[in-house]
Amino acid sequence: MSTATIALLGQPNSGKSTLFNALTGLKQHVGNWPGKTVEKKEGSFAYNGMTYEVADLPGSYSMTANSDEEVITRDFIASGEADIVCILADSSQLERSLFMLADYAGISAPCFLVLNMEDVAKDQGKTINVKALEKKLGIPVMLFSATDKKAYDRFYATLERALREKSHIDVSALEKEYEKISGYSEIKDQLSETDISGYTPMWLTVKYLENDKVVSAKLKEELSGDKAASISALGEKAGGAIATGECKFNWIDKLLDGTVNKSETGVKLGKLDRIYTHRFWGKPAVVLTVILGLFASFIPALPIMGLGSLVDILKNVVQGALSTAGCPALIMGLVCDVFIQSMGYIIKMLGFVFGVTLVFGFLEEVGVMARISYVFDNTMGKLGLQGKSVMPFLVSFGCTMGGAAGTRVIDNWGQKVLTIALAWAVPCGAAWAIVPMLSTVFFGMGAPVVIAVLLLVMILHMWVTAKIFGRGLVKKEDRCGMIMELPPYHKPRWGALLRYVFGRTKDTFVRVAKVVLLVCLIFWVLSYGSGVNDTSILYRLGIAIEPVTKFFGLPWQLFIAFVASSVGKEGAVGVISALYAGGSYGEGFMAAMGGAARAANLNELLLANVTKPEALAFIFAITFNLPCVVALAATYQEIHSAKWTARIAAYYTVGALLLSCVAYHIGLLIW
Amino acid sequence: MKLQELKENTQAVVRDLKGDARFIGRVTSIGLTPGCRVRIIKNDKNRPLLLYSRDTMISLGRSECDGIEVEEVSA
Ligand SMILES: Nc1nc2c(ncn2[C@@H]2O[C@H](COP(=O)(O)OP(=O)(O)O)[C@@H](O)[C@H]2O)c(=O)[nH]1
Repeated sequence: MSTATIALLGQPNSGKSTLFNALTGLKQHVGNWPGKTVEKKEGSFAYNGMTYEVADLPGSYSMTANSDEEVITRDFIASGEADIVCILADSSQLERSLFMLADYAGISAPCFLVLNMEDVAKDQGKTINVKALEKKLGIPVMLFSATDKKAYDRFYATLERALREKSHIDVSALEKEYEKISGYSEIKDQLSETDISGYTPMWLTVKYLENDKVVSAKLKEELSGDKAASISALGEKAGGAIATGECKFNWIDKLLDGTVNKSETGVKLGKLDRIYTHRFWGKPAVVLTVILGLFASFIPALPIMGLGSLVDILKNVVQGALSTAGCPALIMGLVCDVFIQSMGYIIKMLGFVFGVTLVFGFLEEVGVMARISYVFDNTMGKLGLQGKSVMPFLVSFGCTMGGAAGTRVIDNWGQKVLTIALAWAVPCGAAWAIVPMLSTVFFGMGAPVVIAVLLLVMILHMWVTAKIFGRGLVKKEDRCGMIMELPPYHKPRWGALLRYVFGRTKDTFVRVAKVVLLVCLIFWVLSYGSGVNDTSILYRLGIAIEPVTKFFGLPWQLFIAFVASSVGKEGAVGVISALYAGGSYGEGFMAAMGGAARAANLNELLLANVTKPEALAFIFAITFNLPCVVALAATYQEIHSAKWTARIAAYYTVGALLLSCVAYHIGLLIW
Repeated sequence: MKLQELKENTQAVVRDLKGDARFIGRVTSIGLTPGCRVRIIKNDKNRPLLLYSRDTMISLGRSECDGIEVEEVSA
């Protein structure tokens, strides 16, 4: 079977992901471009005896080398790896969205044009004469609805035609526009003998005029000194990207003249948009939307969480069966405490990921996420983030894993990583389950003060973390402010959304299961042999380094509970109650993770063994420790970088100990 | 005048763009070039500006607006 490679190119909101997902279904692979912090999406499908490889080129607005995304996109196309480039434009906003086509014209790779959102254009009363456009452009053109299953037969037919014809955009009319720019023709003449493969002299000249860094540097290399000097003198007077931009839009206007007749559509903000963009009510409306979304995500999550609880019951059944069969304790521990226990935990967490991905995928799909970006742009911009980042932060109050999963709506990899790194500082549901309890036990009426301080520290933590990681992740020159289209609301397509969410949840499950099993296994090995005469590695280690951890305010029992809280904060209380009661902390931990009740006399145990400063240290340590292994795995799943995942995890472990140290010493001053 | 000096529901024509190559590239790629007509939909303090141009609702950060010179025209 022969193969062909298609590259998808289009401005944001042109429907690129919709097309990519529909074409490739679950046969897709997400990774990073080699050596770059940019997400790489590839997939494949078979049609009519051919295999097609599809590359979803990273989102960009133009073909100018302004960001890593655009350089990658351009290099990929110029490399000739793609047999055909599929350029997407939005039929309902043709004038603007054909810019990508105009910017592409002059690149040597053959292409065809897909005018997506046919249905929306129709509703606006627009008619588009495809045949006339094809004639003017010299490439296959089709009207299309990426959301309409029936339209795909036509897409495949056009694709096959485009691969047969391998045609290029007719640039004669466009070049006439460029020739009006003073200096254009002279520069182009100078470039006639340069040979930068993949691009025509016209395209190179235009990019040179636009001050494209990569092209300018390449030309400097290729041209002799006096030629380089002469084009640079010519270029200075030409008017740069403003002049070429005007040419491109003039060309587009002429292209559309006579091929598109549009009835003038008025613009008014809808009722919903008047609320979201309201000067005063906008922010509350967004926060309310996200919180409602958070609650809504429990509806699809609950059945799956229930399934997780069933696994816990299964554990007891298997345990019983194994022990009557006389199975050695070691095997039984591995099967029940490591494997089944972890599965139950993972499935419960996964329910939440499923719910969050579904609900927030829905909000992105219908267009609410763009409004959230608008409202919070100013606030989040201070952290180097997009307005959308507010959503993962709020979700993380429920579950950090859900917050991590929610960052998929952030289209810039660096900002995605930074958002997750900051979201980890937000105390999750598990922290909220134990921190107020511990604070009340130790500080009584002072508990609200402790919680208020925790929230303040959280904000400070996020600010500091943004400063520390921001520089490497979101480069200064990439911190361009908001220049974004506010897309019209779309009807949700449940079929495609659900397919996507299921695929995503399955992927997350596989990755998370690997990490969690591994970590639980390590934890189990470290605590093996714990009990009354404790021989476990963790116990000995805890005792050995107690002089150090004491300085951080953590006696060995609390330190081990802190270590356990990296697996899951739910487990921390189980561990302390087991340890202070003189029992096996391994069992206490496992029982707590399984949702078992804590020791009835926990309060007395704690008050008898832990001082106030130590308690304060412990509260800070677990609140700002890494959220849990599942969140760790979900972070890895989302950012595809083991290096950054490890870096963030190490940062949080160290940070939590530092904070506990500060809290402890302040506590010593007070009490 | 500057883009952000326009009141809500007024129309204007872009006259000039000022900024580095990256800024110019981004602004032109979203359709704002000299000669193009824009309509201000929303202009609140501390919020991005909302404007409508070339069939598209665009949201522009306030500091981005600094680089866009416009001339008000009657509707
Ligand atoms: N009505 C309609 N909506 C579409 C069509 N294609 C995509 N969409 C919607 O447009 C929005 C943006 O599409 P998306 O694929 O995310 O765009 P991307 O940013 O280019 O990847 C989504 O809400 C899609 O559901 C179409 O042909 N018709």
